[in-house]
Amino acid sequence: MSREYEAVYIFDAGLEDAAIAERLDKHHALLGTTTPVTLDHWGRRQLAYKIGSKETGYYVVARFTAEGTVLPEFERALKLDESVIRYLISVHEHELGAPPMTEEQLAARRARDEDDDEDEE
Amino acid sequence: MRRSRKVCPVTEAGIRFIDYKDERFLARFISDNGKILPSRLSGVDARHQRQLAKAIKKARYLALLPYTRGHTAQ
Repeated sequence: MSREYEAVYIFDAGLEDAAIAERLDKHHALLGTTTPVTLDHWGRRQLAYKIGSKETGYYVVARFTAEGTVLPEFERALKLDESVIRYLISVHEHELGAPPMTEEQLAARRARDEDDDEDEE
Repeated sequence: MRRSRKVCPVTEAGIRFIDYKDERFLARFISDNGKILPSRLSGVDARHQRQLAKAIKKARYLALLPYTRGHTAQ
Protein backbone atom coordinates (compact mmCIF):
# COMPACT_ATOMS: atom_id res chain seq x y z
CA MET A 1 0.00 0.00 0.00
CA SER A 2 1.39 3.33 -0.86
CA ARG A 3 1.36 6.10 1.69
CA GLU A 4 2.19 9.74 1.85
CA TYR A 5 5.45 10.32 3.69
CA GLU A 6 7.28 13.36 4.85
CA ALA A 7 11.04 13.43 5.19
CA VAL A 8 13.27 16.10 6.68
CA TYR A 9 16.96 15.99 5.78
CA ILE A 10 19.75 17.99 7.34
CA PHE A 11 22.64 18.30 4.92
CA ASP A 12 26.15 19.48 5.61
CA ALA A 13 25.90 23.28 5.28
CA GLY A 14 29.29 23.40 3.58
CA LEU A 15 27.87 21.74 0.47
CA GLU A 16 26.97 23.71 -2.65
CA ASP A 17 23.25 24.10 -3.34
CA ALA A 18 23.65 22.31 -6.67
CA ALA A 19 25.35 19.35 -5.01
CA ILE A 20 22.49 19.06 -2.51
CA ALA A 21 19.87 19.13 -5.28
CA GLU A 22 21.81 16.44 -7.13
CA ARG A 23 21.96 14.18 -4.07
CA LEU A 24 18.26 14.66 -3.42
CA ASP A 25 17.46 13.62 -6.98
CA LYS A 26 19.69 10.59 -6.68
CA HIS A 27 18.09 9.41 -3.44
CA HIS A 28 14.55 10.15 -4.52
CA ALA A 29 15.09 8.07 -7.64
CA LEU A 30 15.21 5.03 -5.33
CA LEU A 31 11.64 5.63 -4.23
CA GLY A 32 10.13 4.77 -7.59
CA THR A 33 7.45 7.40 -7.14
CA THR A 34 5.01 8.14 -9.91
CA THR A 35 4.05 11.56 -8.61
CA PRO A 36 6.78 14.21 -8.27
CA VAL A 37 8.40 14.75 -4.88
CA THR A 38 7.40 18.08 -3.32
CA LEU A 39 10.48 19.83 -1.97
CA ASP A 40 10.70 22.68 0.50
CA HIS A 41 14.20 24.07 0.92
CA TRP A 42 14.59 25.83 4.25
CA GLY A 43 18.22 26.50 3.52
CA ARG A 44 21.04 26.93 5.98
CA ARG A 45 20.15 27.44 9.59
CA GLN A 46 21.63 27.18 13.03
CA LEU A 47 21.25 23.82 14.77
CA ALA A 48 19.79 23.95 18.29
CA TYR A 49 22.80 21.94 19.45
CA LYS A 50 26.02 20.77 17.89
CA ILE A 51 25.88 17.53 15.94
CA GLY A 52 29.43 16.25 15.91
CA SER A 53 31.42 19.36 15.09
CA LYS A 54 28.65 20.97 12.99
CA GLU A 55 26.70 23.98 14.16
CA THR A 56 24.71 24.71 11.02
CA GLY A 57 22.79 22.53 8.60
CA TYR A 58 20.93 22.81 5.31
CA TYR A 59 17.31 21.74 5.90
CA VAL A 60 15.12 20.23 3.21
CA VAL A 61 11.58 18.96 3.70
CA ALA A 62 10.31 16.47 1.11
CA ARG A 63 6.85 15.03 0.72
CA PHE A 64 6.21 12.00 -1.43
CA THR A 65 3.92 9.05 -1.97
CA ALA A 66 5.70 5.71 -1.98
CA GLU A 67 5.34 2.03 -1.16
CA GLY A 68 6.53 1.22 2.34
CA THR A 69 8.62 -1.64 0.97
CA VAL A 70 11.07 0.72 -0.78
CA LEU A 71 11.84 2.64 2.41
CA PRO A 72 14.48 0.35 3.95
CA GLU A 73 16.65 0.71 0.86
CA PHE A 74 16.04 4.45 0.77
CA GLU A 75 17.04 4.81 4.42
CA ARG A 76 20.15 2.74 3.85
CA ALA A 77 21.23 5.11 1.09
CA LEU A 78 20.65 8.09 3.38
CA LYS A 79 22.63 6.51 6.20
CA LEU A 80 25.55 5.83 3.88
CA ASP A 81 25.55 9.36 2.52
CA GLU A 82 27.97 11.29 4.68
CA SER A 83 26.61 14.66 3.57
CA VAL A 84 23.31 13.87 5.32
CA ILE A 85 23.86 14.83 8.95
CA ARG A 86 20.44 13.66 10.02
CA TYR A 87 17.10 12.66 8.53
CA LEU A 88 13.62 11.85 9.75
CA ILE A 89 11.02 10.04 7.68
CA SER A 90 7.48 9.97 9.01
CA VAL A 91 4.01 9.30 7.69
CA HIS A 92 2.66 12.66 6.61
CA GLU A 93 0.00 13.45 9.17
CA HIS A 94 -2.31 16.33 8.65
CA GLU A 95 -5.59 17.56 9.97
CA LEU A 96 -6.26 14.61 12.21
CA GLY A 97 -9.00 14.63 14.78
CA ALA A 98 -11.81 17.08 15.25
CA PRO A 99 -11.95 20.32 13.29
CA PRO A 100 -10.91 23.41 15.26
CA MET A 101 -13.54 25.21 17.26
CA THR A 102 -15.03 28.35 15.83
CA GLU A 103 -14.90 31.61 17.76
CA GLU A 104 -18.50 31.16 18.97
CA GLN A 105 -17.81 27.63 20.21
CA LEU A 106 -14.75 28.84 22.07
CA ALA A 107 -16.68 31.69 23.66
CA ALA A 108 -19.47 29.30 24.62
CA ARG A 109 -16.99 26.91 26.16
CA ARG A 110 -15.31 29.67 28.11
CA ALA A 111 -18.66 30.87 29.42
CA ARG A 112 -19.59 27.32 30.40
CA ASP A 113 -16.28 26.79 32.21
CA GLU A 114 -16.80 29.96 34.20
CA ASP A 115 -20.28 28.80 35.19
CA ASP A 116 -18.83 25.51 36.39
CA ASP A 117 -16.33 27.32 38.55
CA GLU A 118 -18.97 29.47 40.16
CA ASP A 119 -20.92 26.36 41.12
CA GLU A 120 -17.90 24.80 42.74
CA GLU A 121 -16.70 27.78 44.66
CA MET B 1 -10.58 28.95 46.00
CA ARG B 2 -9.78 27.31 42.71
CA ARG B 3 -8.46 29.28 39.80
CA SER B 4 -10.82 29.24 36.82
CA ARG B 5 -9.84 26.69 34.24
CA LYS B 6 -7.80 28.01 31.34
CA VAL B 7 -8.80 27.30 27.77
CA CYS B 8 -6.19 25.11 26.12
CA PRO B 9 -3.76 27.41 24.27
CA VAL B 10 -3.51 24.97 21.38
CA THR B 11 -7.26 24.87 20.89
CA GLU B 12 -7.42 28.61 21.24
CA ALA B 13 -4.76 29.14 18.57
CA GLY B 14 -7.03 27.18 16.21
CA ILE B 15 -4.29 24.70 15.38
CA ARG B 16 -5.58 21.64 13.59
CA PHE B 17 -2.44 19.62 13.68
CA ILE B 18 0.61 20.16 15.83
CA ASP B 19 3.52 20.36 13.43
CA TYR B 20 6.90 19.17 14.67
CA LYS B 21 8.55 21.56 12.19
CA ASP B 22 7.02 24.66 13.76
CA GLU B 23 9.66 25.24 16.43
CA ARG B 24 8.50 28.79 17.19
CA PHE B 25 5.17 27.41 18.36
CA LEU B 26 6.63 24.41 20.18
CA ALA B 27 9.12 26.64 22.02
CA ARG B 28 6.20 28.08 23.99
CA PHE B 29 5.74 24.70 25.65
CA ILE B 30 9.26 24.03 26.87
CA SER B 31 10.98 25.42 29.94
CA ASP B 32 14.16 27.51 29.91
CA ASN B 33 16.11 24.32 30.39
CA GLY B 34 14.37 22.65 27.48
CA LYS B 35 12.00 20.41 29.42
CA ILE B 36 8.46 19.86 28.18
CA LEU B 37 6.15 21.94 30.37
CA PRO B 38 3.54 19.97 32.31
CA SER B 39 0.01 20.63 31.17
CA ARG B 40 -0.90 21.83 34.65
CA LEU B 41 1.34 24.84 34.00
CA SER B 42 0.62 25.41 30.33
CA GLY B 43 -3.10 24.61 30.50
CA VAL B 44 -2.92 22.37 27.42
CA ASP B 45 -5.63 19.72 27.29
CA ALA B 46 -4.66 16.07 27.49
CA ARG B 47 -5.09 15.24 23.81
CA HIS B 48 -2.96 18.16 22.68
CA GLN B 49 -0.39 17.52 25.41
CA ARG B 50 0.21 14.04 23.96
CA GLN B 51 0.55 15.46 20.44
CA LEU B 52 2.84 18.24 21.70
CA ALA B 53 5.13 15.84 23.53
CA LYS B 54 5.64 13.79 20.36
CA ALA B 55 6.16 16.89 18.22
CA ILE B 56 8.72 18.33 20.65
CA LYS B 57 10.64 15.06 20.69
CA LYS B 58 10.77 14.99 16.90
CA ALA B 59 11.84 18.63 16.78
CA ARG B 60 14.63 17.89 19.26
CA TYR B 61 15.92 15.08 17.10
CA LEU B 62 16.03 17.45 14.13
CA ALA B 63 17.99 20.04 16.15
CA LEU B 64 15.13 22.53 15.90
CA LEU B 65 14.81 22.56 19.69
CA PRO B 66 17.48 21.89 22.30
CA TYR B 67 17.40 18.82 24.52
CA THR B 68 18.91 20.83 27.38
CA ARG B 69 20.25 24.30 27.89
CA GLY B 70 23.88 23.30 28.40
CA HIS B 71 23.77 21.49 25.09
CA THR B 72 22.94 24.60 23.08
CA ALA B 73 25.39 25.80 20.45
CA GLN B 74 26.70 29.24 21.36
